[in-house]
Amino acid sequence: MILEFKNIHKSFGDKKVLKDVSFTAESGKAFGLLGRNGAGKTTSIRILMNVFPADSGQVLVDGWPIDYDRLGLGYLPEERGMYPKKKIIDQLVYFAELKGMSRKAAVTSVDHWLERLGMSEYRGKRLDTLSKGNQQKIQLVTALAHDPEIVILDEPFSGLDPVNAILLKDVVKEQIAKGKIVLFSSHQMNYIEEFCDSIAIIHEGKVALSGDLREIKRNYPRDRLVIRTIDPQPIRAAFGDACTAADGGGLMLRMRGPQEKQAVMQRLAEQFDVDEIKVFEPSLNDIFVEYAGKQDEEGKRV
Amino acid sequence: MKQFGKILKFELNGYLKNKIFVGVTLFLMLAIAVVMFFPNIRDLLHPDKTTPDSADRPVMLIYAAEDGLASDLREAFAGAFADYDVQTAQGTLEDVQTFVKTGVAECAFALDSLSSYTYYVNDLSQFDYNRDTADAVLQEMNRAAAMVQAGLSPEQAGEILSVQVTGRTETLGKDQGATFLYTYVMIFALYMVIMLYGQMVATNVATEKSSRAMEVLITSANPVSMMFGKVLASCLAGLGQLVAVFGTALVLYRVNKGAWGENPVISYFFDIPTELFVYLLVFFVLGFLLYAFLYGAIGSTASKLEDINTSVMPVTFLFIISFLVVVMAVTGAGSVDSTLMKVCSFIPFSSPMAMFARICMSEVPAASIALSIGLLAAAVVFIGVLAAKIYRVGVLLYGTTPKISEVVKAAWRA
Repeated sequence: MILEFKNIHKSFGDKKVLKDVSFTAESGKAFGLLGRNGAGKTTSIRILMNVFPADSGQVLVDGWPIDYDRLGLGYLPEERGMYPKKKIIDQLVYFAELKGMSRKAAVTSVDHWLERLGMSEYRGKRLDTLSKGNQQKIQLVTALAHDPEIVILDEPFSGLDPVNAILLKDVVKEQIAKGKIVLFSSHQMNYIEEFCDSIAIIHEGKVALSGDLREIKRNYPRDRLVIRTIDPQPIRAAFGDACTAADGGGLMLRMRGPQEKQAVMQRLAEQFDVDEIKVFEPSLNDIFVEYAGKQDEEGKRV
Repeated sequence: MKQFGKILKFELNGYLKNKIFVGVTLFLMLAIAVVMFFPNIRDLLHPDKTTPDSADRPVMLIYAAEDGLASDLREAFAGAFADYDVQTAQGTLEDVQTFVKTGVAECAFALDSLSSYTYYVNDLSQFDYNRDTADAVLQEMNRAAAMVQAGLSPEQAGEILSVQVTGRTETLGKDQGATFLYTYVMIFALYMVIMLYGQMVATNVATEKSSRAMEVLITSANPVSMMFGKVLASCLAGLGQLVAVFGTALVLYRVNKGAWGENPVISYFFDIPTELFVYLLVFFVLGFLLYAFLYGAIGSTASKLEDINTSVMPVTFLFIISFLVVVMAVTGAGSVDSTLMKVCSFIPFSSPMAMFARICMSEVPAASIALSIGLLAAAVVFIGVLAAKIYRVGVLLYGTTPKISEVVKAAWRA
């Protein structure tokens, strides 16, 4: 199954929120939707969820306009919240029933998920008696209980402790393995990097960068070296401004081009006391900051 | 449709599981039970009391400069004021004033002559008609005296003064005295239920919005189903509450019919004709739905629960104005068919109360009733769909409360 967002435009009043947004997500893979606050991620997700229509453009599944009656969508919204004063089991079953499940199937599925997330003991409790992290796990059940084909998770890891984060990671991996489309939206780049095969960075309503994450990284200019050394001073003296301090205590050496790599590496190994030299590969964080960070450089590298 | 059923069930369960809702209903049932057992309870407390003793009656003093006049008057006043223990006053006028002031007597009449007196009372009640009664008694005495002076014998004078006029009323339309009561009770019930439940619907929607349960709901369910499910659930809960309270009253009235005897107020009320009862139900449900949709739509545009009270004000005003117009017409004698009421009985916002009042208290052509119900039903559907659209747009607008015009414009486009 292929989910396609095609040339979507959306304005609220005079404000253009989405300008020609297109991206593609495939089943069995996770897709990362990145962007700064207010970039247009939630608006894109709401259009996908059919909360409001796009001004123009289409959301296609396998080339056809999406059929909301048949296709299951699961959504963990960024703005978390359910009924604080109602029993957990009652509201979870209600939400699953609204998604088209029979009452019996809903109860079975909700119980399965409560068990899976270690929340069975809270089944009959009111939601507002739970901690924030546990409430979030309950909310996750609403996104998964009806076994949707497309799972949309908006900032799923925020508020979870490390143990729960691992639990959620396992659940997400299961969903991907089941052949579902998992759409992530997050600011936490390490998680996106861990799960997502492709990404789209939305910046000020436009797609600033999209595609396969490994390819994006591979195509990144390999013109920097990361050097680990006990004695950085001589290297700094020799290379001058091209050499800066890297994150984590080493040095970052910017070359005039990737073709210089071998020569520079050889020189470093022969003339200085270095423990490790490697070509700098940008993390998703670096890429994100570069594309979404500077407002006046918007779109320059697309 | 499937979703609608589930939403309705969930929302209705919300009311039935709400301890305050159940508690208030039980309290009202208990209160009405006490009222319905009132005659039995009264008999229990005062088993053999039929008429008040003279000891229990307040004292009325008669003071006149001439002793003869005072004792004549005492007799005449004792006949006219059965509720009072009428006595002639001893002492001076100052003493009489002191008696009234200290509460020994409730009131006093100090007479200069048969045609001139002063009425002394400590706190003058709004419902004090003693002077009217005294005027009538004194006028009769004056006339009798004048006739005797003109040469008639006291017997002849008495005969002339006591001529009885007989007459009877035949009601060709409706007896407004009889129908007044259910009109009044129905209008008040509708007023209270719409006020309470309208606010509840608005708060319910705003709570969903502020607790962000909306984010999940709006992506799971059709907004029209959501809105209709919520509003119908509140309507059923409100009707259920009324049925519980008035049902209790009716059952206990049947049980206690003997004790109530021929109390006209109570029996008028419970002997409501079936036809009127059906109209009551139709106007009640449609009127309730109309306002509940408006309240629900407004609830969805409020960004915080605190804003609800101010946001619903326009609708509440509209409702209170309709209510006042109808109540004034119903209580003001015979004006249920004024032009204002006729107009109001076709405007959907006021017709549930105005048309019901007219049906109860006057003769309304069937075509007019049908037109009024038709207009009201069409308005309910129209406002319901509009409310659902506003709801869909409104629930995702966080931050400042938007302008009405903006919301309606956005709802049209949605």
